[in-house]
Amino acid sequence: MKQIEQLTDSVFYIMAALTTPRHGYAVMNLIEETTKGTVSIGPASMYTIIKKLLQQEFIYLYDDSDSRRKTYLLTEKGREVLTEDIERRKVMIQLAENGLKEEQS
Amino acid sequence: MKKIKYMMSGGLAFSEQQDMEKLRKKSLKGWHVKDFKFMGYGLEYGEKEDVIYSIDYRFLDENEREEYLDFFSAAGWRHVCSEADMHLFKAAPNTAPIYSDKDSKIEKHHRQGKVINGMALGLLAFTIALFFVSIFTTGTFQTVAKISFFGVFVFTVPAIMTAMAIYYQKWKIKLKEAK
Repeated sequence: MKQIEQLTDSVFYIMAALTTPRHGYAVMNLIEETTKGTVSIGPASMYTIIKKLLQQEFIYLYDDSDSRRKTYLLTEKGREVLTEDIERRKVMIQLAENGLKEEQS
Repeated sequence: MKKIKYMMSGGLAFSEQQDMEKLRKKSLKGWHVKDFKFMGYGLEYGEKEDVIYSIDYRFLDENEREEYLDFFSAAGWRHVCSEADMHLFKAAPNTAPIYSDKDSKIEKHHRQGKVINGMALGLLAFTIALFFVSIFTTGTFQTVAKISFFGVFVFTVPAIMTAMAIYYQKWKIKLKEAK
């Protein structure tokens, strides 16, 4: 499996949802609700990404007492990676916002 | 008595999309996939239904299966059948696709290619070895090597073609995104 270098939007959404323990189904729902249905993650993509995040130790299996609805949570490493990516995204947004402001004045 | 018939696959590596389209048309006429058959699908006659089909490749451990299938059913995809690492699903026509991003879609074809790539490579090495044996030997040994060469060759060619087709699918997705 290829390593995750930069977090794609899908990966970012999933990691953001896993700041609290959630199962895959809940993650999909949360993302759809928060984005008002503009972003929906397909089940096959969801499963692929969860497996990859586990393998890279960005998340860990929090509770598997219900084998149908296993829950996951960010690891310390996962939190760091997510925080770094938030910074990266902030720079992007700031650049755009500043640009738009200057244009107006 | 249940009416059952067989539909041949165009070869999933070559025409996954066409296969899925064909299955949809069959369902519209009342023929629904029941299971995978040798190089095709077993269809069973029932009520006419408009459904779309999707296939995924993944080796699942027994303790992964339930969760995997639950993801799909939560997203509106009903599990039809599985065989080894292949899993077929169906859903109502407007259901969102099972793959929503490029990276994981490419990995699907990567997983699909794993088995056939190994086979193709092994067969290729074997074919080349037999070729050289048939050149550098004489008599009965050579005859046997020659016959074996052609015997293996018949499998090597389609194996390589399949591996290449899967590789081509991966490239198509990568290029689409680059545009």
